[in-house]
Amino acid sequence: MPELVQIAVQRPHVVVFIVLFLGGLYITLTRPNIVKKLIGMYILQTSTVFFLVTISAKKGASVPILRDAANGVDPALYVNPLPHVLTLTAIVVQVATLGVSLALVAAIYRRVGSLDENEIARQLQ
Amino acid sequence: MTAHLPILVLLATIVPAVCMPLLGMKNRAWCRPVALASLWLMSLLSVATFIAVYQDGPIPYALGGWEAPVGVAWLVDGPGALMVVSLGIVVSLSMTASGPRSPAPGASVVPYYALILLLVSGATGIIFAADLFNVFVFLEVAALAGYALAATGGGPALMAAFRYLILGSLGASLYLLAIAYLYAATGTLNMADLAIRLPPLLDSRAVLAGVSFMFIGLGIKSALVPFHGWLPDAYTHAPEAVTPVLAAVVTKVVLFTWIRIMFWVLGAGVEVQAAHILDVLWILGAAGAVVGALLALSQRDLKRMFALGGISHIALTLVGVGQGNQTGLVGGLFYLVNDAFMQAGLFVLAGAAIHKYGVRTWDDLGKLRAQAPWLVGALIVIATSMVGLPPTGGFFGKWYILLSALEAGNYLAVAAVAIATVLTLAYFIKLFEAIFRGPRAVEGAETPTLPLSFKLAVSGFLVGIVGFGLISDSVVAFLLQTTSGLNL
Repeated sequence: MPELVQIAVQRPHVVVFIVLFLGGLYITLTRPNIVKKLIGMYILQTSTVFFLVTISAKKGASVPILRDAANGVDPALYVNPLPHVLTLTAIVVQVATLGVSLALVAAIYRRVGSLDENEIARQLQ
Repeated sequence: MTAHLPILVLLATIVPAVCMPLLGMKNRAWCRPVALASLWLMSLLSVATFIAVYQDGPIPYALGGWEAPVGVAWLVDGPGALMVVSLGIVVSLSMTASGPRSPAPGASVVPYYALILLLVSGATGIIFAADLFNVFVFLEVAALAGYALAATGGGPALMAAFRYLILGSLGASLYLLAIAYLYAATGTLNMADLAIRLPPLLDSRAVLAGVSFMFIGLGIKSALVPFHGWLPDAYTHAPEAVTPVLAAVVTKVVLFTWIRIMFWVLGAGVEVQAAHILDVLWILGAAGAVVGALLALSQRDLKRMFALGGISHIALTLVGVGQGNQTGLVGGLFYLVNDAFMQAGLFVLAGAAIHKYGVRTWDDLGKLRAQAPWLVGALIVIATSMVGLPPTGGFFGKWYILLSALEAGNYLAVAAVAIATVLTLAYFIKLFEAIFRGPRAVEGAETPTLPLSFKLAVSGFLVGIVGFGLISDSVVAFLLQTTSGLNL
């Protein structure tokens, strides 16, 4: 247990990630309202993006733009840009997923007139 | 020319997919011919790729000329080339079989064909990608198209597609998380580099977590048994022309990627914290093979029965792969390719039975005997392969899977395959009993005729299934040769 506390204090970003991820999963699994399910899913996806960004952070490092390449490059001065690039793509994927899912929700709502999962399942049978 | 074949295979479907809305604005009647033409073109190109790989070995491809550490790497190896050929031909045949009025009533034509093409291009990208993140991007391209296609049936299909979307997104998030873990541990996402850097790090907890998340994420997407909840509803309610495509593409390709990551990246002998990863795999596979077939046996809905049977057949692949010897890996891959033909053919027939002959419930199946002898004959051939009788491809796939289990001395796996085979036989007997002993149609009811394109396409499936059995020798020899470098 003390070991866990130590990890949590040293790496607060992991704690934030875990809270966001599990919170999103909890909302997705327990709420009958399908829009709330989507909100939970989006929080869950965002938490993975958050995690990706945090692993690139470095103390004392700055944006990865070379200002003076002639004198050699010191990697300690720059954060790793790759996770940000991955993040950008992942966010685009998430937005597309959200678009498709909202279109589905709209189609369901137009047909059933309800957002409650149990009500929808009952009416669509 | 051969050097650029991989990208041409992708472009053959992704360009028409993106242009489809423009084409639809001009003239809607062109959508179907253009979609079919590009699918068949893609099949031809993939066959050419396969021939090139067969003759000269794997084709590496650097997108845009940027080589591996900086750019996105693709690699077309033997199993990948075979997989793409089966993907192209199966989807082309399924689309040819579904008549001109194939989209569900109410669904518009333009997005429908655009989505089918997008699904195929996404799957092509998954197979070719040699970079974990590139796999993720194409996984989502294919998955988004899949969600939208599953919803085109309307009504109950909407909710089924919504569940599919939620679970699929959860799987994708877990996969992305796994990428983050593996990247943090190794500093690379290229599969070839990972294969060098990962094995010494397998004791690290970050890598263990990454591999577990990847397993669960891809497991959800490929409907492995504890995670298969989304599949039966999504397949059952999808329109007749969509189910074969979904069944042949989504789960198979994801499973193929998982096999590739497991054997080509992690290394087959990998032990994670004393638990052998392949043991987990074959146990899940054995459980899935039996449970899927049992669930299928208890169904009275044609498409749902086939969907659950499909889960059992995917699991059989895992039993072979999980034995950790070359026979098993080759048997599993062979079965995977062959299963794409069987599943798609089965759903094409089911779609025709339901929409052409109005077989709504189990009791209507008797109609088929008198009205559609042709369809019943085709069903018998596919059933032969599903159960695993010679000379079909299904027999040889199962044969190699059984051989590998015996080679590994794994009698539990042998028993699971045997039980799954008996259960498969049982649900097909149940099906044929309903067809041959069910009440006939009312006298004087007109018999709908099947279009020639449908008959040709179904013949294509049958030729594929029986042909795979007849040439199984050379296919297996080819797969053995391409997987010989794996130190199994």
